[in-house]
Amino acid sequence: MARPPLDGVRIADFTWVWAGPYCTLQLAHLGADVIRIETKTRPCVTRLLPPWPGGKPVGLNRSGYFNQYNQGKRSLTLNFKDPEAHEVARRLIAKSDVVVNNFAHGVMDRMGFGYEAVKKIRPDIIMVSLTGYGDTGPYRDYIAYGPAQVPLSGLSALTGYRGWPPMHAGFSYADPNAGVHGAFAILTALFYRAKTGEGQYIDMSQWECAMDLLAEGLLEYTMNGCEPERAGNEDPWMAPHGIYRCLDRPEPVMGVTVDQWIAIAIADDAEFARFAAAIGQPELASDARYATFAARKAHEEDLNGLISAWTAARRADDVARSLQQAGIAAAVVADSRYLSEEDEHINGRDYFVRREHPEVGTMQHCGIPWKMSRTATSVRAAAPGIGQHTDEVLSGLLGYSAADVSRLRAQGALE
Amino acid sequence: MAGALASLKIVEIGELASAPYASKLMADMGAEVIKIERPGAGDRARTRGPFPGGAPHPDKSGLFLYLNANKLGVTLDIARPEGMELLERLVAQADVLIHNVWPPEMDRAGLSFERMSKINPRLVMTSITPFGLTGPKRNLRAEELTIWSAGGVCVLNGAGPEHPELPPLKTFGSQAGYQGGVHGAVATMGAVLAALRDGAGQQIDVSCQEAIASQLEMTFEYWPYMKMIATRLGKKPLQPVESMQCKDGGWIYLCCIEEHQWKAFVDLMGNPDWAGEEIFSDRLKRGDNWEALKIFLEEYVSRQTVLDLYKKAQARRIPFAPVSTMGDLLNSEHLKARGFFVEIAHPVAGACKFPGAPLKYSATPWELRTPAPTLGQHNQEIFGGRLGLSAARLDELKRTDVI
Repeated sequence: MARPPLDGVRIADFTWVWAGPYCTLQLAHLGADVIRIETKTRPCVTRLLPPWPGGKPVGLNRSGYFNQYNQGKRSLTLNFKDPEAHEVARRLIAKSDVVVNNFAHGVMDRMGFGYEAVKKIRPDIIMVSLTGYGDTGPYRDYIAYGPAQVPLSGLSALTGYRGWPPMHAGFSYADPNAGVHGAFAILTALFYRAKTGEGQYIDMSQWECAMDLLAEGLLEYTMNGCEPERAGNEDPWMAPHGIYRCLDRPEPVMGVTVDQWIAIAIADDAEFARFAAAIGQPELASDARYATFAARKAHEEDLNGLISAWTAARRADDVARSLQQAGIAAAVVADSRYLSEEDEHINGRDYFVRREHPEVGTMQHCGIPWKMSRTATSVRAAAPGIGQHTDEVLSGLLGYSAADVSRLRAQGALE
Repeated sequence: MAGALASLKIVEIGELASAPYASKLMADMGAEVIKIERPGAGDRARTRGPFPGGAPHPDKSGLFLYLNANKLGVTLDIARPEGMELLERLVAQADVLIHNVWPPEMDRAGLSFERMSKINPRLVMTSITPFGLTGPKRNLRAEELTIWSAGGVCVLNGAGPEHPELPPLKTFGSQAGYQGGVHGAVATMGAVLAALRDGAGQQIDVSCQEAIASQLEMTFEYWPYMKMIATRLGKKPLQPVESMQCKDGGWIYLCCIEEHQWKAFVDLMGNPDWAGEEIFSDRLKRGDNWEALKIFLEEYVSRQTVLDLYKKAQARRIPFAPVSTMGDLLNSEHLKARGFFVEIAHPVAGACKFPGAPLKYSATPWELRTPAPTLGQHNQEIFGGRLGLSAARLDELKRTDVI
């Protein structure tokens, strides 16, 4: 295999929590040397959050959350209360191609690492700020937390059961979405730099990146002046289209019964006829209430009742298999256990990775969602322990002597 | 100024959201994108709307108009030998071929990297498919709902432990498609940089299911680390992180994750007596006693207006946010000041307004140059002008439904 696409590209990674680390994770996947600048005086929030092996929050290196999104990166700890920590960061920036952060607007400027300052250190630097609201506009100083970005974006107003209040997405979706868009931005800026030698600054708003995903809702409003109604799992152009309950998992997990569901989407009349046959009720296809899309849409609730009655007595995996044999889009509503152990497909594609980690062992983590045929892309190592690479970066990359490193450590600059 | 990708040439064979969104991101940065659609029906997004007045029309679908601005559009049936030959001639001149042709249809048409790289060894060919190009689910039928479910997201969303009878809930829109698309764009750009360095292209196999599974926050890791399954039925450990309705009918999302945010909120509420109760004294206790806390908070929030509470909270560094409606977004003073929404005239659909630059570059602009193509709008320009086909040949290809 040829060298990874970003072999030799270095990222000075000032990010934390989720959006920023998800951005630099993509770059690590592509082979960049991502060096996270952390501090033990205020560790990344995700180092403090569950899950932990055995359920016990011991130390800063055992969080599954942190260990998922920081695979393949290095960790350097600096305490910016010490002026010499700033000098270390300046030397690192001088040897980096990209500076990334997801602090609130203005924080990097106050730290002395705003774009103008960074450009003086390295004129062709590419710098990306992944703020909640962007660098301009009246709300630029507002603060944004992951869960609140979903409702802010407009997704919540559009998501929910019919007649119910707005719902969430179930996870802080705007964070990874901003992160992956940030990675795209950095790659395009690297392309431009390869062609022209010029770096640049990129102002990203997590809010705006999330609104990029709402075209159907926003255009309903700009075209017709109306707010789309929340419609659960329904689709305007397909029926039936829903998630139906199957038999519970045969065994409880932690003493609790776990429900199982199947997602089914039927695109046209021919598919419905095959579906009706597959569930043993071929007469439904010629029933005037269900024979056409318009009729099925009008009787969708009845139809959903019929389908639920059929799925309720079956295992989700069996339903998926028999419907797929009939050429129907059906999938088990996967939970973490299903993905981890039971989905033969995703496991068979070597998607999951298990790299040795000194404190959690070879834990299963999600890997890279693409495969490249010529260049090597792989998760090179487990996530770093906090400050694991401080000495290596200072002496190996930045030219500090062993004595300098000891002195910096003794004075607290490397906390 | 030109966009960052102004020298890049892309051929897209895309439907709905995934591949079209990947190439949209690149087109908006200045890349030339030639979009190939099926003769007759075109991209399925043309049938999905939203439509002005709710009346379906292939050149008026909002989803299509948004995803395909800045592209050139041709029609071509790649399953026909004459169609495949024209695709090969387009690919010979391109840097990237990005597509979401369903794998069984790839097989039928003979669309493969092996074939395309013989024509152009520098080509990056990106296949964005529901489950990837290998494995037992390669050929399964899939739609947005089933892919989002298979990726592990739906199980996280829904009505919570009070309503276990309600199903897991799909997130609005084409999210599985968008995530396959943007992850595909990242991988494609990585391979484009490698091609610039090495003078050689490659194949990229993007699985939408894996793109979704890659962003499950900490929920996936609950199984390997603690043998727990995170679902919509779990109780939230800390509170408040919930939406509530205000007196103007709008909703606000209350979000106090750090202790100082809660203290600032209590202060904003005028330090009511109930807030001093032991059962609300830290975020975990507020989670445990949410049913009681909720009643007090609802009483307060129902006397506020959304915008006023949002601004007052933010002034105290409390990260509340409105549950934005589409109207709120289109009328937002902040988004207007940033010029986020953009407008362009389309020859059939008229004026279209939609999201603009999510990424603002200092040296290379995000640009909206041309509206989405009508079906086959650039057949003459591309097949005639660029590939040099005669008018008679074009007529024949059109008559035989190849284009």
